[in-house]
Amino acid sequence: MAERETTVGPEEGIHGRPAARIVQAAKGFSSQVVLVKGDREVNAKSVLKITGLARKGERLTIRAEGEDAEQAVQTLADLISADEH
Amino acid sequence: MKLTGVGASEGVAVGPAFVPTTSRPEPERTSISEDEVDRELQRFHDAVETVVGKLSEAVQGLRASGGEDEAGIFEFHLEMAEDPELASAVEERVKDLQSPEAAVLAAGEDFARDFAAMEEYMAARADDVRDVTSRISAELISRAASGFDALQRPSVILAQSLAPSDTARIPKGMALAFVTAEGSKTSHVSIMARSMGIPAVVGVGPALKQTLDARTVAVDGTTGSAITDPDQKTLARFKKASEAFAEERAALDEYRHVEASTSGGRRIEVAANLGSASEAEDALEWGAEGVGLFRTEFLFMQRDDLPSEDEQYEAYSAVARAFGDKPVIVRTLDVGGDKDLPGIDQIHEDNPFLGWRGIRMSLDTPELFRPQLRAVLRAAAHGNLRIMFPMVIEAGELEAAKKALEECRTELEGEGARIGEVEAGVMIETPAAAVCAAELAREAAFFSVGTNDLVQYTLAADRGNERLRRLQSADHPAVLALIRRTCEAAGEAGIPVGVCGEAAGEPDMIPRLIELGVTELSMGAPSIPRAKMVVSQL
Repeated sequence: MAERETTVGPEEGIHGRPAARIVQAAKGFSSQVVLVKGDREVNAKSVLKITGLARKGERLTIRAEGEDAEQAVQTLADLISADEH
Repeated sequence: MKLTGVGASEGVAVGPAFVPTTSRPEPERTSISEDEVDRELQRFHDAVETVVGKLSEAVQGLRASGGEDEAGIFEFHLEMAEDPELASAVEERVKDLQSPEAAVLAAGEDFARDFAAMEEYMAARADDVRDVTSRISAELISRAASGFDALQRPSVILAQSLAPSDTARIPKGMALAFVTAEGSKTSHVSIMARSMGIPAVVGVGPALKQTLDARTVAVDGTTGSAITDPDQKTLARFKKASEAFAEERAALDEYRHVEASTSGGRRIEVAANLGSASEAEDALEWGAEGVGLFRTEFLFMQRDDLPSEDEQYEAYSAVARAFGDKPVIVRTLDVGGDKDLPGIDQIHEDNPFLGWRGIRMSLDTPELFRPQLRAVLRAAAHGNLRIMFPMVIEAGELEAAKKALEECRTELEGEGARIGEVEAGVMIETPAAAVCAAELAREAAFFSVGTNDLVQYTLAADRGNERLRRLQSADHPAVLALIRRTCEAAGEAGIPVGVCGEAAGEPDMIPRLIELGVTELSMGAPSIPRAKMVVSQL
């Protein structure tokens, strides 16, 4: 299992194109990937679940379980913290 | 009757009203029998596949015509259509013997309710979910989700709300303006209106319902008001305003294909910045006399491997061919530690903008740099390509990059490949490059000032920091002094200077840049006509 905390970068938080990009990236990994904010834990491969999860500047945790967990967590952390997409 | 809302896209229009019939399909069959479950699940997955296919076509089409913002919306829709959580919600309902066409609407409604409960920006996403699930449902009951079939003449569209799938179905030229009950400046309908260049008033509220039988509507997208069935006096006023607006548009159109010169006789080339090869045709239509900045990052993003030399060659030659004799400046890869590149050993950087990026990364990674150089040399056989190196801070880097270019040229000649002449220039985007402009000018065939980064580095102000927005302007004595120094060095060496940052398209900045000695301006293509007008009026 791999886990990493990051800060949301996109101006309007997680929705729209940034959300689509995050899901596209998550789907590229065989690991199960979830985003955790507070007591909410959602499937990172579902755009419907991650949309609206967090606003710019809020912290959330990426957790992955599987063969490529480490890389999945790294890639998603970079994507979520990037301020442009 | 007067409707007041938010002016979401400027301009004035008057025309007949058109109210699309509701786009929400009503499933006739709500339940299925036990033995239909498997077949109905299959039908659902087929419908999703069809909708995803259509959306993905829309994304590609919009990208090819430069509609990057709209493409982003459809990309979001595409992800929702094939969302695994939506699929399992529908599967559960179908297994409980609900028809798939009803199940997808109901499941969509559940997600929409969650979004609607969030703050305004997210609440708008509720309509996105409904739009997507309506499409899937409509696909299932084999009925198009369009209420625009009856739209036969250019009209003002009045609707509760307009989803991307609605606006996408409006025949070209048939929408004069949008007036919607719901929505904000960031709603899709607003983005669409701005990119279509038509006025829009959104968020007029429940008052809209009382105007759906209107015959004529006058819309002012600048002030955010609309008047249904206006009296003669109002009608005349709006007609005048809409003519003035159309005239301004037309006046700008006149400048699209002129070769702009100042009254003093200085010829200024106005070129386009391209973010991908598919934007070339659009840029030519806006009147681009070349490409001052062809960013190559698009080839490297969103993929698991590096683009091959051949793939790069195809992209560069497509643009070279489209522009023919007109110069196209290809900028070599400029990504930093904030973007992942497969196969490249990157480490986390706290300051990617001050990190291992641009020419620094290229010179350190020949396996990244050389295929790009080779692809540009080969593509140059099909047009007028130039190459430009980003993030240069000293002449040594330019020499090393030119040496690599020469080696690739020799290599390709040895292989008997068809190649073209490629002049090499540098981006002036660091204060160091501007200060060392005289040394760089001895080696460079041209300069291109990247004002966005030059401002950020000179004023020590992060481009992405909202609080520092007032510092994101090239109109600062230090930045102007650096540009002046760059132009003087170029003048002495007899090489041209272009500007490819946002300042190049700003009417206030254009006269100052020209005064400093800049001879080429490169910008987002829609700004080209106005820039040419500004130059011509100097």
